[in-house]
Amino acid sequence: MTTQNLEIRRSSASLWGEKTGMRHLPVVSKLIDTTTCIGCKACEVACQEWNDLEAVPTQQTGTYQTMPELDPEFWNLIRFNEQEFDGGVVWLMRKDQCMHCADPGCLAACPAPGAIVQYENGIVDVNPEACIGCGFCATGCPFDVPKFHAKTGKMAKCTLCVDRVSSGLEPACIKACPTGCLQFGTKDDMVALGHARVEQLKANGFANAALYDPPGVGGTGVVTVLRHGDHPEWYGLPRDPTVPVGVRFWKSVLRPLGVVAMFGAVIGAIGHFMYQGPKEPRATDVEPPPGPRA
Amino acid sequence: MSATASRPSADPAIFRARRAENIVVGEEIVRHRFASRAIHWTVALFFFLALFTGLPIWTPIFGWMAHLFGGLSVCRWLHAWAGLLFFGAIGVMFVHWLGEMRLEPKDREWLRPRKIVAYMKFEGDDEDVGKYNGGQKLFFFAAALGAVGLLLSGVILWFPLEFSRPLRELAFVAHDVTFILFVVAIVFHVYLGTAAEPGTYRSMIRGTVSRPWARLHHPRWYREVLGASSSTNRPPR
Repeated sequence: MTTQNLEIRRSSASLWGEKTGMRHLPVVSKLIDTTTCIGCKACEVACQEWNDLEAVPTQQTGTYQTMPELDPEFWNLIRFNEQEFDGGVVWLMRKDQCMHCADPGCLAACPAPGAIVQYENGIVDVNPEACIGCGFCATGCPFDVPKFHAKTGKMAKCTLCVDRVSSGLEPACIKACPTGCLQFGTKDDMVALGHARVEQLKANGFANAALYDPPGVGGTGVVTVLRHGDHPEWYGLPRDPTVPVGVRFWKSVLRPLGVVAMFGAVIGAIGHFMYQGPKEPRATDVEPPPGPRA
Repeated sequence: MSATASRPSADPAIFRARRAENIVVGEEIVRHRFASRAIHWTVALFFFLALFTGLPIWTPIFGWMAHLFGGLSVCRWLHAWAGLLFFGAIGVMFVHWLGEMRLEPKDREWLRPRKIVAYMKFEGDDEDVGKYNGGQKLFFFAAALGAVGLLLSGVILWFPLEFSRPLRELAFVAHDVTFILFVVAIVFHVYLGTAAEPGTYRSMIRGTVSRPWARLHHPRWYREVLGASSSTNRPPR
């Protein structure tokens, strides 16, 4: 998280006044074209180098994939999936990372004020100074992105290179991509570019090609061109991701209801006391006890 | 305090209330011996510790409470440990009081909504109420059940990454619903034990109640205690 040039649109566990951005900034986005990805992993290396993350041992699980899941020290992972299709097998590669949702489930679930922020330009970032490492954001995230870093006791994930972006540079992964399958720009431009590519694919016989920009989370800051757009799960993407019902129910229903119930109980008790008064024994309530009195 | 004081100046009932309960000492009746009171206040201590460290995690409205403990990062682990200790204490309390809290047919009658409303209106006092009325017994079992619910959901929230996603989401909702009901119940528990029914708070501090208090709130218990104590109803020297 950069501490300069803060233009915060939304901040976790804030009820009021979290917006600090003075300027209106265009929302930025990455475009990932899975059809032109060659699986070279240059973006993985660029991410590690720019963010100065430690080398994480490769895990051999029978695929080209560097490791099975994202890691607190590995924020950019090319997923390699093999899928039976049309009598053969298709080999699908997709760059997995934080999706920078417009309506981020991590931010909704986070209980620590300011630990997850969304900047005016749409980037969703973790502020380790405020993070308490509870892991609630991992429950809130429909893409299973935030990871717990045992060394710091905080959560870690892709920052969309907010430090580079706020200095007018493109993210490190984009810079490194040799095929141009990764693009960076305003969300509007990336969506337009993605749709143009989808039309191109459809014209070339891939009728189900689609742009993955799921509306359930308000759209994402990483839009993905899928050749098999009717099967996002083949790429390890949820079909219709939303902020989890449990998180929404907690924040939008139980929290206000609970606060009202608690203060209501206190006010009810005071009201009862004012109306009913204390229940005290009257002098006539005591019968002479049986047997000798002491 | 004079150095020459040779005899205690406090109420003799206090000394009897250390070990014995349900006995008459002069004008006082011992309701809760020291062990009962110590267990009760241990539960209360860990309850409020868990409550005040949990509320700032629950909503930023109570964020200021985190500063009482040194910040939200402290609350994040203190809440879990306070919760564990709360569960342990309430377990001890459950075993300690279970014998006296068994629901009898009379108690079930007491728990009918009309009876509860009458109770809150201070009407229709029941001559058959023993040491604990139906409401107190219900609260006892509800608190124990709530503590189990809070523990199970709390462990999931403590180590969220070890459990499946549906379980985690369920834990959010279960922990919230249980603690909200718990807090509402505690508000009324505290109110009834203090302002609403004077003389009750003393039974949890000194351990004793007055005869009129016992006669009014727990008539059958009053009769039983007097009957049992009538032959030995002598204050200690």
